[in-house]
Amino acid sequence: MGTATKTTLATGESVVGAVTSRTVLGVTAATVVLAVACLMQWVAPGGAVVGIPVATLLGGGLAVAGCGIAVLGAGSRLGYIETTPSRATSLAAGCVVGMLWAVSGGVATTVAVGGGDAWLPVAVVGGVAGALATVLPREDAGATLPAAAVIVGWGGAIAASGGGGGWTWAPAWSSAVFPGTEIVPVVAVGGALLAAWSGASAHAGFGAEGRQAGAYALVGAVVVGTLSVLVLLVGFVVLKGITPVLTGASLTGGTLGLPFVDAAVPWPTLPFVTNQTGGLYVTIPGVFPALVGTLWLVFGAVVAAVPLGIGAAVFLTEYAERGRFTQLVEVATNGLWSTPSIVFGLFGLAFLVPRLSGGNSILVGQLVLGCMLLPLVLLTCREALLAVPDAHRDASAALGVTKWQTIRSVVVPAAMPGTITGVILGVGRIAGETAPLLLVFGGAPYPSNTPDVLGSFSLMAQPPFVTNDALLAPASALPYQLYTTITAGVFPKDEFTTAAFGWGTALVLLAVVIGLYAVGIASRRYFRRKLHHE
Amino acid sequence: MSDTPQSEPRRSDDRSGADDATAAAAAGSTDAAAAAVSSKTGGIAGPPGGPGGVDGDEPAVARTVGESDEQLQDAWTDYEFDGDAKVSVSDLDTYYGEERALESVSLDIPAESVTALIGPSGCGKSTFLRCLNRMNDRIRGARVEGRVALDDRDVYGDGVNLVELRRQVGMVFQEPNPFPKSIRDNISYGPRKHGDLETGLLARLLGRDDRDAERDLVERALRRAALWDEVSDRLGDNALGLSGGQQQRLCIARCLAVDPDVILMDEPASALDPVATAKIEDLIEELAEEYTVVVVTHNMQQAARISDQTAVFLTGGRLAEYDATDAIFQNPQSQRVEDYVAGKFG
Amino acid sequence: MMRRVKRTVAARVTDPVVGVARSAREYRSRTGDTAVAVQAVICGSLGAAFVAFLVGSQWTVFPAGVFLATTVVGWRREQAATGKAVTFLMTVGTVGVLALIVAFLLVRSVPAVEHMGVGLLGRTADPLWAARDGGVYSLAPMLVGTAITTCIATVIATPVGIAGAVFISEIAPPRVRDVVKPGIELMAGIPSITYGFIGLTVLNQYFYAEFRTPTIGSYLAAGAMIGVMALPTVVTISEDALAAVPESVKSGALAMGSTPWQTTKSVTLPAGLSGVSAGVLLGVGRAMGETMAATVMLTHTKGFPSPVFDVFSQYGETLTTVIAFEGGNASGVHMSALFAGGVVLFVTVMALSVGSQYVEWRMHRKLGGET
Ligand SMILES: Nc1ncnc2c1ncn2[C@@H]1O[C@H](COP(=O)(O)OP(=O)(O)O)[C@@H](O)[C@H]1O
Ligand SMILES: [Mg+2]
Repeated sequence: MGTATKTTLATGESVVGAVTSRTVLGVTAATVVLAVACLMQWVAPGGAVVGIPVATLLGGGLAVAGCGIAVLGAGSRLGYIETTPSRATSLAAGCVVGMLWAVSGGVATTVAVGGGDAWLPVAVVGGVAGALATVLPREDAGATLPAAAVIVGWGGAIAASGGGGGWTWAPAWSSAVFPGTEIVPVVAVGGALLAAWSGASAHAGFGAEGRQAGAYALVGAVVVGTLSVLVLLVGFVVLKGITPVLTGASLTGGTLGLPFVDAAVPWPTLPFVTNQTGGLYVTIPGVFPALVGTLWLVFGAVVAAVPLGIGAAVFLTEYAERGRFTQLVEVATNGLWSTPSIVFGLFGLAFLVPRLSGGNSILVGQLVLGCMLLPLVLLTCREALLAVPDAHRDASAALGVTKWQTIRSVVVPAAMPGTITGVILGVGRIAGETAPLLLVFGGAPYPSNTPDVLGSFSLMAQPPFVTNDALLAPASALPYQLYTTITAGVFPKDEFTTAAFGWGTALVLLAVVIGLYAVGIASRRYFRRKLHHE
Repeated sequence: MSDTPQSEPRRSDDRSGADDATAAAAAGSTDAAAAAVSSKTGGIAGPPGGPGGVDGDEPAVARTVGESDEQLQDAWTDYEFDGDAKVSVSDLDTYYGEERALESVSLDIPAESVTALIGPSGCGKSTFLRCLNRMNDRIRGARVEGRVALDDRDVYGDGVNLVELRRQVGMVFQEPNPFPKSIRDNISYGPRKHGDLETGLLARLLGRDDRDAERDLVERALRRAALWDEVSDRLGDNALGLSGGQQQRLCIARCLAVDPDVILMDEPASALDPVATAKIEDLIEELAEEYTVVVVTHNMQQAARISDQTAVFLTGGRLAEYDATDAIFQNPQSQRVEDYVAGKFG
Repeated sequence: MMRRVKRTVAARVTDPVVGVARSAREYRSRTGDTAVAVQAVICGSLGAAFVAFLVGSQWTVFPAGVFLATTVVGWRREQAATGKAVTFLMTVGTVGVLALIVAFLLVRSVPAVEHMGVGLLGRTADPLWAARDGGVYSLAPMLVGTAITTCIATVIATPVGIAGAVFISEIAPPRVRDVVKPGIELMAGIPSITYGFIGLTVLNQYFYAEFRTPTIGSYLAAGAMIGVMALPTVVTISEDALAAVPESVKSGALAMGSTPWQTTKSVTLPAGLSGVSAGVLLGVGRAMGETMAATVMLTHTKGFPSPVFDVFSQYGETLTTVIAFEGGNASGVHMSALFAGGVVLFVTVMALSVGSQYVEWRMHRKLGGET
C-alpha cells in the first residue's frame, strides 16, 4: 500500500535530519535487542558486551536516541529541517508522556528524598507539566522534546545505576521483590518504544504521515514481539525435546521385512516414537501407546462429529427457514464453540461415563472430543455452504433436479473444500486437548501396551450384543501423557529424566499438531487459489 | 447500448465522404502521428499548432481508413483546446501483472470542463481514472508506465505526496461509499484529516475548537452538492440511512469539502434510478464551472448531455478517439467509434 | 468465529399456533405417504433410543437398530425424505448436546448447593475447601483466582491482539501477511499443555528466581501465559471484522487523501469496532476457560491474596484448575461442588459468547445501512 509514499524529512533537502532520524531508529532498535537479551538472561545487566558495561550501553543508547529526537524536534521547530507538522500532538500522546513524567518525577523524588510523601505533589506537577508540554506546542516540538527529556533522563539513570545490581524494590502490596537488574531492561524497552514512536514520527516529517509512521512503528514492534514469542516457544520445545526424541534413532539401524520375499532391508528407527512407555524389556521408553491413543481419539471424534456437523449445517442452510429455530441453533453452536474444554469433561463424566463404560474409557474420550469438534465442523461447513452462490442452486433447480439431488450433487461438493480445511484445523485443536481427558479418558501414567481396539470386538448373548473391551478401557494420549509426566514426578526408567521424557513427548505432540495445522493451512490456501483462478 | 439519434443524419453523410479518401493519404499519416507523439512525450507543453477551435477542424489525415480492423491513429486523439491542460497524460501504459489494461494513452484534459470517458466495459476506463490519483497503487501487481502530469507536476515522480495529490484530485466511486458515520462527520472527515479543521477534546480544551467553521463547511458542501435541503435537519444521522442517490451526492459533497481541483467520477450514476441520475447530471454540469471533472460513463446519452469533450476507449485499453463531444457523437473519425456510438457493439 | 449470514430471508412473524398448523398442512400436502412414514419411524426410533440411553437401559440397542435399519431402507427408497429427516435430527442433536450439558451440570451441582447454600459462592472464612466436618466447599477463592488470571490475560491479549489484527488486515503487504497470519493461527494450535509445560519450567522458575515469589507459580505467570494463548482468538476474530469493512469505504477514505493510518483509525476501526469487541469478548471467554496451562502452573493453594491485586502471592487456584486437578478422584459433595464450579464457568462463558454474537450482529446491521 502506498509504495511510493516518500514524504520523508524535507524531500531530500535536509541530509542532517534524515541522518539523525535514521541514527535514532537504529540506536533504538539496538537498545531493544540488548534489553531483551538482558531479560532473557542471555547477558547479565551487570556484565559487559564487547568490553563496555551493559548498563552504559543501554543508558547510552537511550541518551543518544533522546538527544537525536530533541535535535530533530528543535531543528524542525526552528526551521532548519523542513517538515509538515500539525498544529498539535494528539491528546493520547499527551496523556502517555504526562504519565511518564509523573512516574519519573515521583521515582526521582523518592530516590532523592528517601521516602515520605513528597513524591505525590512532584508526580502530579510533573505529570501535568509533561502533558501540557506535549499538547500545547506545535507538533514537531510537542511530540519530541518532552519525550526526549524522559528518554534522556531514563538513559542517564540506567547508566548511573550500573545495571541495577544490588538494588531491589519491595513494595508493600506485593509478595515479590523487584531487583534492579530486572527493572533496568524493562525501563530500557519502554524508553526505546517511546523513542521509536517519536523518532519514526520525526523521520516521516510529522503531520499525518508522521503519526502514521509513529503508529506503524509501535504496531510493528508489537507484531515482531508476538512472532518472537511464537518462535521462542516452538524453538524451545524443539531444542529441549530433540535429544530424547532422537535417542537411539538411526537412519539404517532397523530392518524392514519385505512382504512375500524372505528378505529385509535397513530401515530408519525412531525408538522414542515406536517404543512402549513402560514394560520390563524396553530400554528406550517411547510414546507409542500415547501416539496410538491420540490417533484413536482423533479418529473417533472425527467419525462422531463430522457427519453430524455437516448434516446439521445442510439442514440449517438448505431446509430451515431463517427464523427463531436457526437463530437458536446458531447461538447454541457458537456457545458450544466457546464452552471451556473442562466443562465438556464434566459433561462426559456425568452423562457418558455411567451409561457407556462405568469408568474412564477411549470411547467416552472420543465422544467428548467429538462434541468439542462438532460446533467447529458445523460453523465452517455452514460458512462454506453459504458461500456457494445461489445461482448454482437455481441453475440446478431450473434443470428440473429435485432439491435433495441439488444439495447432494451441487451444493455439498462445492462446500467440501472449506469444510475439510475447517475439520483439519479443528482436529489440530482437539488433538492437543487435555483437560477433558483427565476426567473421562486417562489411565496408567506409563502404559506398557497399546490399545488393541480392532482386535477386541466380541459378541455376546445379551444386549447390546457387541462389545469392545479395549474401547471401554482407559488409555493414554500424547497430551495426557505429557500431563502425567509433569505431575507424576519420578520417571521409572533410567534412560531419561522426567523432564527429558516430558520434552520429548511435548515435541512429538507439537509435531503432530503443527503437522495438522500445516496441512490445514496449505489446503485452505490451495483451495482459495483454485477458486480465484477459475 | 442506447442509440444516439441526434448523430444519425450527419454521420451517414460524412461517412460517404470518408469512403472516398485514398490509401495514399493514409500512408502519409504515419509521419504526422509520429510528430504528434513526439510533441507529447516532450512534456506537457501546450497542444501543438497553437490554439485551435474547440469544435476541432479535422486534420487532413484523419479520415482515411475504412473498415473495422482499422489502425487507431494518433491524429484522432489529438484534441486541441484553449488554455493549458489541467491534467496531461502521455504514453500511459498500465499493467495488472502480465496483462496490459491500458496501452499508450495520451490525452490532455482542459481545466474547468467536463470530460467524459466512454467505451465498452473492460476497456480500461476505470483503470485510466485510477491512474490519475494513483489509486492503482493499492492494487497488487498493478504497474504504471508513462507520464501523468497535474498542472505540469509529474504525478508519478519521486517524492510525490499521495496525500497532497489526492487532496487535489478527488474521486467519486461507482457505488456510493459513505463512511458508516454521521452525515456531518462524512463531510468534515477530509478537512479534519488534513488539519484544516480541529475538533475533538484536545482542540476544545485548548480553545481551538473549529465547530463554527465545521458547520459552515458542512453546509456549503451540502448546498453545493444539492443535498442540503434534504438532510439539513438530520446531520447527525448515520449516512448509511440515506437513499442511494442521496448517498452518492453525499460522496460528492464529501469530495467537495476538501476543495479539490479535479474531480474524478467513475460511473457515478450507474447504481441510481433515473431521478437521482438526473440530479447528479445537473450537479456535474454545475461543478464544471469551478472544477475539472472527469467522468466515466457507459451511458452515451449521458456523456452527450453533460460533457464538453469525450474520450472513447475501445477494447484493449487504447484510446480510440478524443474530441469535442459534439464531434465525437456527430462526426466520429473512425469506423469503430462510429459503430460504438451508434450502439452497434459495447 | 461468527458467521455472516448472507442470505437474509425475513423471518415470517405469525401467530405461532397458526404458523405451526399451516406449516403442518403444507408439509402434509407436499410429502408422500411413504416419506411421512419413513420420517416418522426415523424420528420416533431415535427418540426412543435416546430415552432408553438416558435411563441407562440395556435395551437401547433395539430402537437404535430400528433407527439404523429404517435409515438404510429409507435411503434407498425415499432418499430425499430420509436425508431431510436425518439432517434435521443432526441439527436437533447439536442443540441437544448443549441442552444435555446444561441439564447434567445443573443436576449434578444440586447437592453442593443444598449442602452449602449461598456459602458455595460467598464463603470467605476458613476453612474454604475441606473434606472434614461433612465437607466445606467455597468457590469464592476460585472466583477471585479466575478473575485475576482473566484480567491479566485480557490486559495482555487485547492491545496486542488488536494491534496484530490491524497489522494483518490493514498494514502488512500481502507477502508478510501470508507469513504472519498462519503464524498467529499456529499459536492457537499449540496445545495448552505445552504452553503449561513451558510456563512451568521457564516462567515460574524465572519469577521464583528473579522476583523471589513465595512459591513456584503465581497468578501473574499463569495469567501472562493465558494471555498469550487467548491472543490468537482476539487477532483472528478482530481481523475478520476489519476485513468485513467494505473495501469501497476504505478506498473512499484513501481517495480523499487521508493516510492509510488515518483511514484505519477513523474509518475502519470504528466501523469494525463491534466485531473487534466481539473478538475481545471471545478472547476473555477463552482465557476464563483455559485449563491445562493454569493447572500445571498454579500452586492449587486456595485463598485470597491481600491486597487482591497481589499477583505474586502463594495462592493459585481457578475454577478450571480445581476441576481438572481434583475432578479425577472426587466424589459426593466434593464432586458436586466441582460441578457447581463448572456451572459458574459455563454460564459466564455462555454470556460472553451470546454478548459477542449480539455485538457482531449489530455491526453487520449497521454496515448494512440501518441506523
Ligand atoms: N484489480 C485488477 N486486477 C487485475 N485486472 C484488473 C483489475 N482491475 C481491472 N482489471 C482488468 O483491466 C481491464 C480494464 O478494467 P477496467 O478499467 O475496470 O475497465 P472499465 O472500467 O472500462 O470497465 C479489464 O480487462 C480488467 O479485467
Ligand atoms: Mg469501470
